[in-house]
Amino acid sequence: MSRNLLWLSVMALLACSPKRVHEEPILRQGDRVGDTEALVAGVHNQAVVDQARLQDRVDALRAEALSTCQGEICAALTRGELALGMTETQVMAATGTTPEAWSVRRAGPASVLAPAARGMAPRDRNGEVALVQLRNGVVSSYSYYEAQGVRVVQKPRDATAAGRAEALAEMLIREGDELAARGDLDGALNRYDRASVLRPDDPELDYRIATVLDKQLRPVEALIRYQLFLHRLELEKIEARGEAHAKLADAIARARERIMILEKRGS
Amino acid sequence: MLRLSISSARRTLPLFVVAVLTTVALGCSTKKVSRIDPSAVTDLSGKWNDTDSRLVANELIQQSLSAAWARRFAETHGGKAPAVIVGEFRNRTMEHIPVGTFVRDLERALINSGLVQVVASSEERQEVRAERADQQEHARSDSRARLGQELGANYILQGELQAIQDQEGREKIVFYQVDATLIDLESNQKVWVGQHKIKKYIERKRFGW
Repeated sequence: MSRNLLWLSVMALLACSPKRVHEEPILRQGDRVGDTEALVAGVHNQAVVDQARLQDRVDALRAEALSTCQGEICAALTRGELALGMTETQVMAATGTTPEAWSVRRAGPASVLAPAARGMAPRDRNGEVALVQLRNGVVSSYSYYEAQGVRVVQKPRDATAAGRAEALAEMLIREGDELAARGDLDGALNRYDRASVLRPDDPELDYRIATVLDKQLRPVEALIRYQLFLHRLELEKIEARGEAHAKLADAIARARERIMILEKRGS
Repeated sequence: MLRLSISSARRTLPLFVVAVLTTVALGCSTKKVSRIDPSAVTDLSGKWNDTDSRLVANELIQQSLSAAWARRFAETHGGKAPAVIVGEFRNRTMEHIPVGTFVRDLERALINSGLVQVVASSEERQEVRAERADQQEHARSDSRARLGQELGANYILQGELQAIQDQEGREKIVFYQVDATLIDLESNQKVWVGQHKIKKYIERKRFGW
């Protein structure tokens, strides 16, 4: 009886012990670890062939594009920039791409070139191209991915530095408005401030900044901005350039009211 | 009293003699050094070693060179190879592991494959920039390296090494996982992820060498 008990306890002990691993090793002492030299050499040879083939195609497209260009389009091609009036070949030459980089949709006289892969959109000198629209075989508009959204170039002025600044300021103001509506006043002020660098004499922007400062309970700065807003409108009136102030009647009335209140509080 | 100290000395003398002889024997043992094939598998302690480093390097090289991202980039950029910067590989294990060995192997393979261009890392750049700045002052004008001509990277290669251990008595399992990730520097998009796992079973015998 006691012997049986002893056997049972030994068995129980053995059952509790951890299970041994009996896997066959995949590498033993003295084995050799292979190298990847042959693989790297093979990939290198293929890469050289592929790159030469693609470079040939890009060069051919560039030669064709330059042989048919004129004036400003030739200059833009040389700089590596898109321009209105370019042909499809010239678009590829300006961006240094081949047709594989684009997804082309055609509908009658219009066609649209979109990047074949969003993460690898073609670029010109100014940025990442979002879309190129062609009408009757020439570019009628094109757009770039910018930090604040998509910037569209439809007129020659849009492609200049001033046009770009104008578009960026517009995008920043829109983003600021959205942030203000969500209650992120610091974020909104940041966007308006950045926009005011690009568009320094915009009374509407001053009014937006004044309103945000007023909401943030910063009366001194808000007062200055309200006064600046009215001052800029006066200047516009004197220069007889702005009928815009008529549209801002509400803003003007509100600004005057806030100035009075803030001045009273200050005194 | 004197008798006691003599008897105690008699007892400790043999022990002392044995200790001296052992020390002399150990001191006289010959050291053997041999050059062996670097690709040979040599596991001594069971810790991370050169074999693990080579295995990781080989696997990551195979995975990275067979991935389509570089070819796709070249096709959408007129044959231009993407520029890659090798960032930090973090060792998140408790062991001291020099990750630089397999990272350099990977970097070398990427450069030699011609699929990508590799730009100097931030540490390397500091030295190069200092040298270039020095040239602007001291080098002959026709031999000066120009400023503002650096190649901006399209992607950054980062990674980490993690380990899990399990031990019971004289048996031990160590599991290493190496992850490498290639991230688009503009969009933060991960365009490629490479991974290699190593599992080691270490058993210490009770007797024998």
